[in-house]
Amino acid sequence: MTAVDLQPGVPTPSEERKESGGGFLGVIRANYDLLVAPAIVVVGLIVMVAYVGSQTLDTIEERALEPANVFGQLGQHLLLTAYSTVLVLIIAVPLGIVLSRPGARRIQGGVLALGGFAQALPPFGVLLLLGFWEFGVRSAVIGLTLAALLPVLRNTVVGLQQVDQSLIEAARGMGMSARQTLFSVEIPLAVPVIVAGLRVALVLNVGTATLATYIGAGGLGELVQQALRLNRINLLFVSGAIIAAVALLVDWLAGVAERAIVARSG
Amino acid sequence: MSETENMIVLEAVEKVYPGSTSPAVERLDMAIPRGEIVMLIGPSGCGKTTTLKMMNRLIEPTGGRIILDGDDVTDVNGDQLRRKIGYVIQQGGLFPHYSIADNIGVVPKMLGWDKNRIKERADELLHLVGLEPSTYRDRYPRQLSGGQQQRVGVARALAADPPVMLMDEPFGAIDPITRDRLQDEFLEIQRTVGKTICFVTHDLQEAVKLGDRIAVFGTGGRLAQYDDPDTVLTHPADDFVSDFVGGGAAVRRLSLLELSRLELHPIETDAAAVGNRNGTPVAEVDGSGRPVSWRHLPDRDAATTTLVTVPLSGTVYDAVDVMLDGSASLVAVVDDEGLPQGVLHWNDLVAGLKTRERGA
Amino acid sequence: MNVFQYFSANSQQILFLTQAHFLYVLICVGIGSAISIVLGLIVSTGEPNPNRFSFDWWATGVREGSLLITAAVLTVPSLALFVLFLPITGLGVTTAIIVLTVYSLYTVLRNTVAGLRSVDRAVLESARGLGYGRIRRLLTIQLPLAWPVILNGIRVTTLISISIAVVGSIVQGPGLGQLLLTGITRIGAANAFPQVLIGTFMCLVVAAVFEIFFAIVQRLTIPRGIRV
Repeated sequence: MTAVDLQPGVPTPSEERKESGGGFLGVIRANYDLLVAPAIVVVGLIVMVAYVGSQTLDTIEERALEPANVFGQLGQHLLLTAYSTVLVLIIAVPLGIVLSRPGARRIQGGVLALGGFAQALPPFGVLLLLGFWEFGVRSAVIGLTLAALLPVLRNTVVGLQQVDQSLIEAARGMGMSARQTLFSVEIPLAVPVIVAGLRVALVLNVGTATLATYIGAGGLGELVQQALRLNRINLLFVSGAIIAAVALLVDWLAGVAERAIVARSG
Repeated sequence: MSETENMIVLEAVEKVYPGSTSPAVERLDMAIPRGEIVMLIGPSGCGKTTTLKMMNRLIEPTGGRIILDGDDVTDVNGDQLRRKIGYVIQQGGLFPHYSIADNIGVVPKMLGWDKNRIKERADELLHLVGLEPSTYRDRYPRQLSGGQQQRVGVARALAADPPVMLMDEPFGAIDPITRDRLQDEFLEIQRTVGKTICFVTHDLQEAVKLGDRIAVFGTGGRLAQYDDPDTVLTHPADDFVSDFVGGGAAVRRLSLLELSRLELHPIETDAAAVGNRNGTPVAEVDGSGRPVSWRHLPDRDAATTTLVTVPLSGTVYDAVDVMLDGSASLVAVVDDEGLPQGVLHWNDLVAGLKTRERGA
Repeated sequence: MNVFQYFSANSQQILFLTQAHFLYVLICVGIGSAISIVLGLIVSTGEPNPNRFSFDWWATGVREGSLLITAAVLTVPSLALFVLFLPITGLGVTTAIIVLTVYSLYTVLRNTVAGLRSVDRAVLESARGLGYGRIRRLLTIQLPLAWPVILNGIRVTTLISISIAVVGSIVQGPGLGQLLLTGITRIGAANAFPQVLIGTFMCLVVAAVFEIFFAIVQRLTIPRGIRV
């Protein structure tokens, strides 16, 4: 499980490079940070394959690393991630919009402060507590969703908050209703921040999903659990590498999608 | 020896930025006399700021020599050099986490002064720039207005009593009224401290008002003219300078002419002089001898003409201002006590002003 | 057995683990922040100056590179990172500390770099004009002015680390995660649920202690002139 804090106002390295030239080279130059994750993944996987090739695996390890087994767990993992991220999107974004309305200004500050503090609440614990209610995928998805809710909520509120007040005034001044202003001015301008929050949620979910195995919901964490139980160092190493690679690639895809969405929204 | 007369000498100083073919400042020779205010002016991108920053080597010249008070400082340690040269910039650049007194004490502290001396110096300078030490010493920059911050900036630059001050549009970001007052105070301070000052501005009015000399820079870092303000206004060296100085030159020149330097027309205050044949205006005075209204004017009705006065310490510009304001065609020039010293006519402006040799 | 009964019966163990959790986070965030701030300062000595090429290119390279790599590390699920260190450092506290420290690098590094860069150009220029050298400028002007941003980065990292530290128990790291792990293996037992609940909840207590700690540090270390 992982958490990325997004502080508005403090530029991340990628935010500063938006204006470098056009054309193909320009795109590469503006997005060279997106090359880092694939590079790490490729090098890491080469190292892993070389390492595994040099070792003689016993039958337990071979069985655990059978493609059918690994891909089955990968499928479960991605499914858990996808379900929970979609749920987060459905719940947190509208809730964030509601919270950003003038009527909710008073509870907004409290929710944001709580959101910061709640980062200390371990998703692992939330997941396990739900396990007492029910073992399985349903609990896992709920747990993942709860754990990733706050970053998106927070970014939605902050994203809407930072929209230039004079633009909103201009829109109202031209006769747009509050509703029209929200949908045609505020939300489009807040999209980059909201999308960044969703990316954080996605990465969080990929991470927390590794722990879903502790409440019997499968996923790639099962490999780790198995390796720990059987005390197989090779298997541990391989499973760690696979999980890391999956997380980096998911984040990378999300990063590419984020750039595309933000570029479109202007 | 010229080295004692000139505080700063630039010899063939040149700046070419990396990756640029044309120089930002082109082989510049310039001498700044001790105790004078030299204004660097020109359109943006003309190299005036670059020139200023080369004097304390904030920007390293790519050619030539810089001589400060007779010493070649082209290659000495830049940080050490800058501690001996005052520096004021447009935005003040006060350190927000230091109190006002600490800000002023920055250079003395680096030079190893003891605490009491730094504290005394800070108070002294706050006083000099017109800020009450007990009120302002422990405040922080954000608690001060822009004008006050700029005063502190000047005080900070003066802290270690450097012989030279470099000022980069120090009043550029200040509202016009405050700027005018700061300029007056600045001249007042300079009268006390007598520094050699190099001052970048984009405001010709400011250059004329403050400068003993004006250096007009043309595009491409060329020094187009370097003269006293009067000469720059009346005899521009070339078309560029004359364009830059523009059509308002004659009017601007008025602010250079001090009334005390003019040959004024006489004025009478004695009622017996009414109807005199020589055309001297007669004013009615109050108990302490200050003129209040016209008793007699040779060529017009004295009763319908307002009597306006201008202090002798003012300039012709001030006199014109007063006349326009009072719809009067003449103005009485008065001394510090308000006693009449002479008269200036509107016609004099057109006919040509006569200056007199001022005795020491 | 309800939560309160469990708590009073095991208070000593719970408090011990809470304390261990606190220290574990404190040590890792402490080491990680120290590394990040020093690294951030070093890569920020290269200043935006069109006249100098000498030092800047590698400082910029190291800055961007370390930001990208530490950001990538933060993307890797903590379980995977703990596990990847196992073959090298084995089960136990060493692995737990290394991984949590590595996790805490990015946020502080990013805030250090951004904070140092966000200092007003006019302030830096006048410092230079008054004869401040590069190092003096960095340490007496930039660092104090960037400190609120850096401190906030440390605070955020601490909160995140508290929740990540729990996972460290899977590789036999110290702290409250042990309550969670033993609780879930004894699911069905009467005190399993209170155990997990308290393990989770005590993380918030640790967070609250840290928040108080940071409020005090903030009060004490942020210069008066820039306090909001």
